[in-house]
Amino acid sequence: MILDLERFQAQARPRWRELESLLAALEGRPDRRLNPAEAEQLQELYVQTAADLNRVTHGALAHELKQYLERLVARAYAELYYVPPMRSEIWQPRRWLRIFTAFPGAFRRQARYFALAVLITLLGCAFGGLAVRYDPVSVDVLLPADYLRNPGLRVQEEERGQGRHRNSAQTEAAFSAQLIRHNIQVALLAAALGVTFGIGTALLLFENGVLLGAVAVHYTRQGFGLFMTAWLLPHGVFEIPSILIAGQAGFYLARLLLRRREDRNVRQAMREWLVLVAGLAMMLVWAGFMEAFFSQHHAPVLPYGFKVAVAAAELALLTIYLLMIGRRGIGTEAYPGVPSENG
Amino acid sequence: MTVTPLTRASTASELTIATPEGVLFRLPLAGPASRLYAMLVDATIVLGTVNGLGLLVYWIFSKAPGFGVMVITLAEFAIGFAYSAWLEGHWNGQTIGKRLFHLRVIDQDGLPLRIEQAWVRNLMRVFDVLPFAYLVGGLSMLTSPLMQRFGDRVAGTLVVRQTPLAGPGEEFWMRQKYNSFIDYPAIAMKLRRAATPELASLIQDALRRRNDLAAYARREIYRELAAYLQSELSPFPDELLERLSDEQYLINASGILFGDTRPSRSRA
Repeated sequence: MILDLERFQAQARPRWRELESLLAALEGRPDRRLNPAEAEQLQELYVQTAADLNRVTHGALAHELKQYLERLVARAYAELYYVPPMRSEIWQPRRWLRIFTAFPGAFRRQARYFALAVLITLLGCAFGGLAVRYDPVSVDVLLPADYLRNPGLRVQEEERGQGRHRNSAQTEAAFSAQLIRHNIQVALLAAALGVTFGIGTALLLFENGVLLGAVAVHYTRQGFGLFMTAWLLPHGVFEIPSILIAGQAGFYLARLLLRRREDRNVRQAMREWLVLVAGLAMMLVWAGFMEAFFSQHHAPVLPYGFKVAVAAAELALLTIYLLMIGRRGIGTEAYPGVPSENG
Repeated sequence: MTVTPLTRASTASELTIATPEGVLFRLPLAGPASRLYAMLVDATIVLGTVNGLGLLVYWIFSKAPGFGVMVITLAEFAIGFAYSAWLEGHWNGQTIGKRLFHLRVIDQDGLPLRIEQAWVRNLMRVFDVLPFAYLVGGLSMLTSPLMQRFGDRVAGTLVVRQTPLAGPGEEFWMRQKYNSFIDYPAIAMKLRRAATPELASLIQDALRRRNDLAAYARREIYRELAAYLQSELSPFPDELLERLSDEQYLINASGILFGDTRPSRSRA
């Protein structure tokens, strides 16, 4: 049937205008809520306009009019089928604070990806450590930075406070920010590399492990084990787990992408991924402050035993936090909809 | 949701959505160029904000520059991620740059963007910028039928063009009072039967865009159309044609094709 466009438009124009103004009003609202009367009106106008679009599509070749109607239908469709977030969901600060309990929960739900990250890092550590142990020449390849290659010199420098300014609180503050920024960037990359189906994440974790293992063995063999422990652990007990959690997030993402599209609960999964990333970012902020303000002080200012004790205490607190917080009793873990174990 | 096959030849790639009511509509996808421009605008805004903030912070912390550096380093980092994520999540899927270039981020089902989607797609940027100049993200866009960078693929979002479209105007070309074709009901009926909707719309479009066409082009197009109708569909007698310009011929034909006046019940 050929449509008489002119007459058709004259008849339909009022309802298009009405729909347009209703949509403009709705889109202007931050929470996009409809009252019942508006919902009814929107539904009715949407159905009519959709029918108009069908008529134009099949009965005439009016490109501009079709485009206009498509745009209108698309907007109305979006308003009708979108479940808006509750106003309270957006603006309540309490919701934002819930990240502190949501993070350990997400960590525990996806523990198997954490285990995978730990495994790969340990493999890296073993590789790096064994290489340095049995082939000392490999140090030059594995530890590119000068300061890592010559522990004796480095320890001397560190203990004498060389290469550091006297007025240290200032430099330490600036240093901490750079550390936080760099670490979060690396961790975020590890989490994002999940899109390479986890291959990138695994490589990054492995490389990290190699470096860690090589440094540990290299320093220990030269008799600086205690120094190194006291130097690295106060921030390392947060930094290393947070990189592992980044790996966990990366593998979680990879697993999600490997699922068939219909099986993905994308919305929940994204939330889970974001919670993990936000949590590890918080951990890295703490690690950054510790590294700049605490780790860089050595004996005799801070006895090594004390530093190691602080590190142990931190680790204990972190473990308790990750394993205990947000637990609502065995078997009643929140978020039943989250694809956690075998999806 | 159905997805149109990729048309690599043109930039006019689009997403087709089938609603539960069985209506199809298309959304035009944004190409890499406009997205790049929008990003440059946003980058400029972020840079400007950070620098302005930097001056303020250095002034406040002039006694303790180290802490000033700390504050500004962290603020810059946070703003870099939060700017796009926050605006897209709360401002209809648009940043300032995207609004300027009429782009909008939406869910790939045609629905508005959710807040967590906005964050995921913007955090994934760390991967898309690799190894430099958005190479990874660019390649992803070129190989994706929905022009998604990896952040979009993960978050299930895409960027559409949203140029403002004016509603259909009130003025149409004037419907004439008297249509001389009605005097020849048999030929007019033949025209009505033989004309396809495409041809009818073509005639209508040609008339509607009368004033957009250059005089020469208009003459040529009208002449060709009228000649085609006359020779293929509706051979009106010569004595009538002598009195009609090509344009009038088309107006009459359009009146027959779209008009409510059936030749048998004509006003004539």
